Amino acid sequence: MAGVTLDRITKVYSGDQRAVSDLSLDIADGEFLVLVGPSGCGKTTALRMIAGLEDITGGELKIGDRVVNHVPSRDRDIAMVFQSYALYPHLSVYDNIAFGLKLRKAPKDEIDRRVRTAAKSLDLIDFLERKPRALSGGQRQRVAMGRAIVRQPAAFLMDEPLSNLDAKLRVQTRAEIARLQRELATTTIYVTHDQVEALTMGDRVAVMKKGELQQVAPPQELYDRPVNLFVGGFIGSPSMNMFEATLRKEADGSLRADLGGQSLTLDPELVAARTGLGAYIGKPLILGIRPEEIEDAAIDPAAPADRRLRGVLKLREALGSEIMAHLEIEATPGRTDDSAELEADLGLSALGSDDTRVATLVARFSPRSKVELGQTVEMRVDTRNLHFFDPTNGLGIYERPPADHPPAQPAATQAAGDDSVSQPEGANS
Amino acid sequence: MTQVARNDGAPGGAQPDGLRAEARRRRLTTAAFLAPAAFFLIIWLVYPTVATVWRSLFDRSGDEFVWLSNYKAIFTTDTLVKALQNNVLWVAVVPALVTAIGLVLAVLTERIRWQVAFRLALFMPMAISLFAAGVIWRIMDEKDPSQGTLNASIGAVRDALGGSGSVLPNAVPSTEGLTGSLQTGFYVKAPVQAGGQALIGLTGIAPTALPASAKQAAAPAAAPGTITGVVWRDFKPGGGTPGQVEPEELGVPGATVELRKSGSTAAIQTAKTDDAGAFTFKDVGSGDFTVGASKDSFGPPYAGVSWLGSKLINPAVMIAYIWVWAGFAMVIIAAGLAAISREVLEAARTDGATEWQVFRRVTAPMLAPVLSVVFITMLINVLKVFDIVLSVAPASSQDDANVIALAMWRTSFGGVNDFGLGSAIAVLLLVLVLPALALNVRRFKREQ
Repeated sequence: MAGVTLDRITKVYSGDQRAVSDLSLDIADGEFLVLVGPSGCGKTTALRMIAGLEDITGGELKIGDRVVNHVPSRDRDIAMVFQSYALYPHLSVYDNIAFGLKLRKAPKDEIDRRVRTAAKSLDLIDFLERKPRALSGGQRQRVAMGRAIVRQPAAFLMDEPLSNLDAKLRVQTRAEIARLQRELATTTIYVTHDQVEALTMGDRVAVMKKGELQQVAPPQELYDRPVNLFVGGFIGSPSMNMFEATLRKEADGSLRADLGGQSLTLDPELVAARTGLGAYIGKPLILGIRPEEIEDAAIDPAAPADRRLRGVLKLREALGSEIMAHLEIEATPGRTDDSAELEADLGLSALGSDDTRVATLVARFSPRSKVELGQTVEMRVDTRNLHFFDPTNGLGIYERPPADHPPAQPAATQAAGDDSVSQPEGANS
Repeated sequence: MTQVARNDGAPGGAQPDGLRAEARRRRLTTAAFLAPAAFFLIIWLVYPTVATVWRSLFDRSGDEFVWLSNYKAIFTTDTLVKALQNNVLWVAVVPALVTAIGLVLAVLTERIRWQVAFRLALFMPMAISLFAAGVIWRIMDEKDPSQGTLNASIGAVRDALGGSGSVLPNAVPSTEGLTGSLQTGFYVKAPVQAGGQALIGLTGIAPTALPASAKQAAAPAAAPGTITGVVWRDFKPGGGTPGQVEPEELGVPGATVELRKSGSTAAIQTAKTDDAGAFTFKDVGSGDFTVGASKDSFGPPYAGVSWLGSKLINPAVMIAYIWVWAGFAMVIIAAGLAAISREVLEAARTDGATEWQVFRRVTAPMLAPVLSVVFITMLINVLKVFDIVLSVAPASSQDDANVIALAMWRTSFGGVNDFGLGSAIAVLLLVLVLPALALNVRRFKREQ
């Protein structure tokens, strides 16, 4: 077992296509790191470079203390689980799992013992003599896992191993993989485009966009302190609502954010924590509100009046445990290159009209809410948990930067500095 | 359809008349569709098969019913037994080789630049009729290196490697002072004593026949107790004096030189000439000696391999046949190769397999169904092999290259005109092909 270190790893395909740029990651021994990002962000390419299935154009890759840039895949002591499982169709489950051990000429009884142990922990004992084509999707997935764990490698590499399973099985297998990884304490690098998998499984999550690392952090930090607009919009489902807003200082010293026709008073606690906000008073910024911070005001009548928004309910999705409310509110949507990219990844275009004075807001209402379509809804917003981003570079606004370091760069995170925000007029015309 | 017919014919079926009429109409439609195909199948397939089996039980003229004696003849006539043996050889060697070579070609051309060009070139022989391909190979197989490409190539390679036997094939002595021939070697007529010199001048040597290392010929200085001399190309462009070593005349390197007692034919000493053609025999003692370039230095021109002779005719025909079909096998196997998931091969690599192990333990087993298609197809083709044998093997070798289909043709039409025996051979061939056919049909059914 060993850690994995990526030092400015770069992949350039012929024709100057940069799939991965200067990716640096330090994955500790036994850590579960998830690489997440929209399709085409380079996460699978990065994983394949670690596996040795793809040449590394630049940078240095270490497994343990060994630089393995030019070590063939077979000698890297890693095991990979593929999206398609890539089982050997001509071999039985037993031989599939034993394949790597047989190549290493392990003694027969040793192979048998380890295969059976792995099969037992994966509940495959009854299927050892079957061929892969006689197995269900979930069983195939477990065989692929068995093939990886039986070799006791330095690291597991998993490339979207759950994406071919149906939803229920996915949840079950997700927990199973997390349990196995904790038991074996083997360094694991897990690629997925599914943020739920990323947040639930990873010790740390690395978010990538267009080949560049955006932020590496534990799941909760990623959710609470997204380093930029992209991470803010990518993490969380449904995504964060983003509006153009202007900060205004009230006579009593409190801060208000103007969103077109409406405004929200910021919680003093939040203002105290985000010292960086001081520099933006009177200036435009991008305000992010997570759907879970918005509630039907009728449910919580005690909520202060200066922390409310009004909107017209356009779509109501009742999920039983909650209601997803899509509303049109009077505000300017915070459109950026990043949000356009996120929308494209989700396969949506912004709901509602192209009118820049009208923005769509998604809220998570309590199932007891009685809101109806077409109704104007009064919502209370928990202003303790708002997010702010600089409209020029997309970076999140948190503590005031030390005077000699101008732009904010939260610790343990890395941000791409070139995320510029296009003018909403331009984005919508 | 059969379901309908059975219900219709069931006794006591209380079906309304309308349904019965409907069923009859459907049967008529079926028959109308089947009739043309059935008609031609009967004329072209069933009738000839039955007639051939029937004819095989009659004698040459077709007048006398001879039971199975034609079949007995197949196994007792020498040329026919040879044909059977050759067919066994073909079946044992060719399908396996075609499949193996096709596999190698498919793998080698899998991920390369100009893939289409390479595959096209390898597949091209399929565009030629087998008979024409046979004619091409027959010309290439000619024994005389000046006609047959194969032997010319072999000769060129032998020459390039300085192979034995083909050195200085046309050399002649430049003066009357030498005697002998290419077969005996060339010797100096006059006896030589210790301290003497032997000049062995040769002409009739093409400039290209000498190795590039050859230098200006020079005889070593005479010394007491030794016999020295030089073997050289005694030809100076623009004229010169025969028998004298002159400028621009090259030594013959590597010639074997013998020292004999006069009157004896046994060599006392042998030596090799250096790049200047010089040689030295030391401590020769007293008496008269004969010195000369031995016959080892010369050789007849390369005669060529007798591809079309009785010994090599079978390999020669098989090579031509494999050349044609390997491209076909390659294309089919390449299609199977393309269908293998790349991820499975990558999984094997990360599992620790070397490229050879990936091929042996993953690629090849996954290709097994495709390989067996190619193998069985080739098996059937090889059992029926005919035209390429006829076109590659000259009439004189056809008895040695005989195969069942060729034997059938030669017996029936090729001068013997024994239609009884010919039919019997045809029936035997049919019986031999049937198991392979059955195998193929069963496989197709299983795939469905």
